[in-house]
Amino acid sequence: MIGVVKMTQEKKKRSIPLTVLLTLVALGQLVPLVWLFDFSLAKSGDLFGSNMFILPDPPQWGNYAKAWINGKIPQYFVNSIIVNAVSIGLVAVFSVTMAYAFTRMKWKLSKPLLALVTIGIMVPIHATLLPNFLIFTRLKIADTYLGLILPYVAFGLPMGTFIMTGFMEGVPHSVEESAILDGCNTRQLIFRIIFPLVRPAIVTVIIMTYISTWNEFIMAATFVADDSLRTLPYAVYNFAGEYSADYAVQFAVMMLVALPSLLIYAFLSDRITAGVTEGALKG
Amino acid sequence: MHRVLSNKRAIFWMVFPGFAVFCFAVFIPLFYSVFLGMTDWRGYGEIHMVWAQNFSKILFHDPVFWISLKNALLLAVLTMLIQHPVALLFAYLIAKVGGKREKLFRTLFFVPCVISTVVTSRMWVAFLSPTYGLVNHFLKAVGLGFLQTDWLSNQRTAIYALIFVIMWQGFGWAMLIYYSGIKGLPKDIMEAAKVDGANRFNLLWHITLPLLRPVIVVNLTVALISSFKQMETIFLTTNGGPGNTTQFIANYLYTEAFSAQKYGYANAISVLFVVICILATVILNHSLKRDAIES
Repeated sequence: MIGVVKMTQEKKKRSIPLTVLLTLVALGQLVPLVWLFDFSLAKSGDLFGSNMFILPDPPQWGNYAKAWINGKIPQYFVNSIIVNAVSIGLVAVFSVTMAYAFTRMKWKLSKPLLALVTIGIMVPIHATLLPNFLIFTRLKIADTYLGLILPYVAFGLPMGTFIMTGFMEGVPHSVEESAILDGCNTRQLIFRIIFPLVRPAIVTVIIMTYISTWNEFIMAATFVADDSLRTLPYAVYNFAGEYSADYAVQFAVMMLVALPSLLIYAFLSDRITAGVTEGALKG
Repeated sequence: MHRVLSNKRAIFWMVFPGFAVFCFAVFIPLFYSVFLGMTDWRGYGEIHMVWAQNFSKILFHDPVFWISLKNALLLAVLTMLIQHPVALLFAYLIAKVGGKREKLFRTLFFVPCVISTVVTSRMWVAFLSPTYGLVNHFLKAVGLGFLQTDWLSNQRTAIYALIFVIMWQGFGWAMLIYYSGIKGLPKDIMEAAKVDGANRFNLLWHITLPLLRPVIVVNLTVALISSFKQMETIFLTTNGGPGNTTQFIANYLYTEAFSAQKYGYANAISVLFVVICILATVILNHSLKRDAIES
């Protein structure tokens, strides 16, 4: 007993230099963000002084008010929510139904279609930008929410289906078998039995899709030209062009765009960490 | 039982909607790209077939295409030689800390990965700015003012500055995957080795690293493939400049498409891009499978 206490004490002592080292490196890694925040509260001219960091006196919260209004943050934020909620929801539902049909149900095209969807993981998004731009423009779905939702779902599905099929292979058949014997039809089977069973995998799929679609920029910049439909990441790009001399306000826009992601991460960091590692190791 | 699980109508409604969206936005554009890649279309007027002309021009007479590939390879090599060993080391150190601090560090190191590339890219453009960036301020403050430069516009530094930014952004991902790999290692082997008198270095070199091999292999593969797929960070920092020295294939095709309006030519690049990505993935997976069987 005494030995154990001693050991943990020693372990604690030993880990102090380690903690210091890790703290320094973590701070070093986050310096650009700290700097960005620092000068987002300063006057634009302060950047050209010789100080690396300053104590904004008084903090220019007005920069944020300007960023909020001129950067059209509320409008872009609402667009982001709509596009992401629909995309993530559809990816979650489709990956469960598709994975179930691919792994558990018996039909001829099951294997080839699954293979086709899995190939999708390898296809780089950027190779579809130009053809999709041309197709979307022709079909008049460029400049609509659909113009973002469709490609987001399409590129979220391969990974989602992949994670889900992997998970379903580990789910025992017994529950569904008894449900079927009890007279469940397919719809009841999927929505009442399977969805609750694969909930952990659904969380992983939602997190992976969220990380890639919430921050997605290049499709949003390519397929949407109508300012009223643009999503949050575009605000930075837009603002940098329009107010290129007002650095402090630009920095405030960047902080505001990063804020929702940071908040979500702060509240769900365990889930996100778990989801990311699971998704990444399977992919 | 069989009737429920092979109900054709149910299967159709379960697979069709998702599959249709997938084909519509991933597969159909690829085929359209193959077709347009064989034309000289510039977005208006009639479409003339030029067949393989674009492809042979890209492969044999387009230095920028090869610069793009070379840059992707350089990024891949530097990522593997610098980012990954450091990420692995810090994953190991964080796993050693234990308790609340472990969670804190794990969370902090991943922060750059949850923020949009637009924010981090524009942030680095500011951070490296020749007139007001902190990097140049810092160099001056510590007496290294002669090193000051316009990092992202100087021909000699731009590609390395860009690669540094990409590594910074991706560091958390690499580290987190190593970390979870380390966390998943069987504890009893470690304990046994400790009892046998293995010191910390021996433990790391002879036990931890060999056990981590599958994770390392997967992680390096992902790194290699994603080096070829880089786009946003480049588009938002150097946009391939100065003079195409920091060009990457996805950004190159985007420029050719949307700035130069060479739809035919850009589509041909797109097609080659997809072929390269799929080939790289297939070859790597294949050799990894063999590797896994042998070891």
